Amino acid sequence: MNKTSSGLVLLIFAFGLGALFLINISLGSVSLSLPEILNGLFSKTGMASEILWQFRLPKALTCILAGSALATGGLLMQTLFRNPMAGPDVLGLTSGASLFVAVLLMASHYSGLLLIQSSWSVAIAAGMGGALVFLLIINIARYVRDNTALLIVGLMISAATSSIVSVLQFTSQADDLQTFMIWMLGSVGSTNWSELLVLAIMVGVGLAISIALIKDLNGLLLGEAYALNLGINTKRARVIIVITTGMMVGAITAFCGPIAFVGLAVPHLVRLFMPTSDHKILLPAVMLGGAVLLLCCDILAQLPGSTQVLPLNAITSLIGAPVVIWMVIKTKRISV
Amino acid sequence: MSEPGNIALQTSNLQVGFTTGNQNLFLFEPLSIQLVKGELVCFMGTNGIGKTTLLKTLAGIHIPFSGFITRNQSVAIVLTDKISGSLMTVRDLVTYGRYPYLNWWLTLSQRDHELIDHAIRLVHLESIAGKQLHQLSDGQLQMAMIAKALAQDANILLLDEPTAHLDLNNRVEIMNLLRRLARDAGKTILVATHELDLALQTADRIWLATPDQKIVTGIPEDLVLNGTFDQVFQLKGFDLKTGKIQHTPFRKVSVNLSGAGPEFLWTKNALQRNGYEVANDATLKVSVSSLHGMVSFYLETDKQTQQLSSIEELLIALRALTD
Repeated sequence: MNKTSSGLVLLIFAFGLGALFLINISLGSVSLSLPEILNGLFSKTGMASEILWQFRLPKALTCILAGSALATGGLLMQTLFRNPMAGPDVLGLTSGASLFVAVLLMASHYSGLLLIQSSWSVAIAAGMGGALVFLLIINIARYVRDNTALLIVGLMISAATSSIVSVLQFTSQADDLQTFMIWMLGSVGSTNWSELLVLAIMVGVGLAISIALIKDLNGLLLGEAYALNLGINTKRARVIIVITTGMMVGAITAFCGPIAFVGLAVPHLVRLFMPTSDHKILLPAVMLGGAVLLLCCDILAQLPGSTQVLPLNAITSLIGAPVVIWMVIKTKRISV
Repeated sequence: MSEPGNIALQTSNLQVGFTTGNQNLFLFEPLSIQLVKGELVCFMGTNGIGKTTLLKTLAGIHIPFSGFITRNQSVAIVLTDKISGSLMTVRDLVTYGRYPYLNWWLTLSQRDHELIDHAIRLVHLESIAGKQLHQLSDGQLQMAMIAKALAQDANILLLDEPTAHLDLNNRVEIMNLLRRLARDAGKTILVATHELDLALQTADRIWLATPDQKIVTGIPEDLVLNGTFDQVFQLKGFDLKTGKIQHTPFRKVSVNLSGAGPEFLWTKNALQRNGYEVANDATLKVSVSSLHGMVSFYLETDKQTQQLSSIEELLIALRALTD
């Protein structure tokens, strides 16, 4: 893959992102035309403006942030673990978050504590759960030497927390259970501007750090021994990669719930479009690709022409999985 | 031994090993050993004795228990580790060699490009520089890994079994390349290898890991003649002093072979392989002659002489006579 052709693909991705962003904010229970959108964006009065600034823009921006963050997290994990099966949730963060949210939504009933179930409390619970698992993983990462062992630990933590969540689901009341199930299905439509600001800062910092790690990430592809011989501080790189992924994925899970599939699939889809292992090309492509995919899924979730909205996780996997299967069959191989 | 100024790498009381559970596993007795500038050293020893760990320790990517390593020069290493990133091209892989000198954005200077091109030329991979790693054969991938190490522009090269799983042609090519690099470019090269025959014919010096956890060093020929190799490898059926596989003359038939050149040598090989003893006082005579590129074999007994055109025919005729 040479520089010009990869630059061209990146440009196409960027244009696609812009177009999808416009389509995304134009669709919904009320369709808006391009002049209406432009008018609504700048006039700050009227119905179109209300719809755009209150609902559509935060949702579309959340899509972009979540898509970029999850896809980048997936790429970082696949490179760190040198495993094509790795995704942003392999560290057990999502499971930790869902455990705490499950406790908040389903067990508060028993504890007698009347917790206020607002979007912020769910976000805080998810953030705390993610952070706790994350601290655990970071500490384990300092002791276990190889990355595969760390991967297994992450998967075990996921297994353990999901079993607690199952017990909670089994014993909870129908209403609480439904609230939790809806959170588990993921949503980009419930963020307001103040939440969006927090999200943007955390994702922005995460993406910037990822870009700064290009050399380390490339080096890690050769394995720890070669990377060390090339003067890369693998221990430091590993900790920074884990922290960065944890921060981005934790933030997204806190505000949007556990969004499946994007993190695992986007790096593969991108590599099928632009066959390269160079993170200098892969990282920006994956950031754009993640945003594009999630915007697409959100457009489809709105069921154009209807007021019904489908759960995001159902769409991401339903649309994404056949696409990945088709592309894998077509190219006959998958790689990190 | 050489003067101190010529030493590329030196260890003193180096304790190499690794920790399993709470136990420290020492692989060798404390090592005080050195690599001389511009020498090609083959490091031999049985599987699992700790060659890879010692190489990694010398390269500074494995931490020793105690002791010192003195090296004034940079080290590049070629391991047997599998690498990911099979979508990268050969050139991308060789570019990794420049990483120690690059900034975070991986900006390549003109000199970097030149060194990368030079490394690719040295291993003769120009024609496949644009190929992706998953399209390469094992030998080509190994050559590309060596090119990466060369692009590192390090004076010391440590290679772990660079010829494993390769065919004879590739093995000889790699060893010849290393020979050239040591002699012409003045690189100091340490190769861990199991290829006894190649090591004996190319190495300036041998490091031999013995079962009592020591490393014996010396010139290959000395180690052959004083029997150190036999002790370590306990060679079965391979006569190191002649460099040949031992044959038992099970047919109890002696043949007096005469002739010259490669035809003579290969006929002798065929006879011995098939259990004939080659002796000067035998009554059964075989002579090989080559005239204008035509090779003829003559099988003489007291009674008759047969002319044969191939070694296969000769063997059939011999069997008919003696069985």
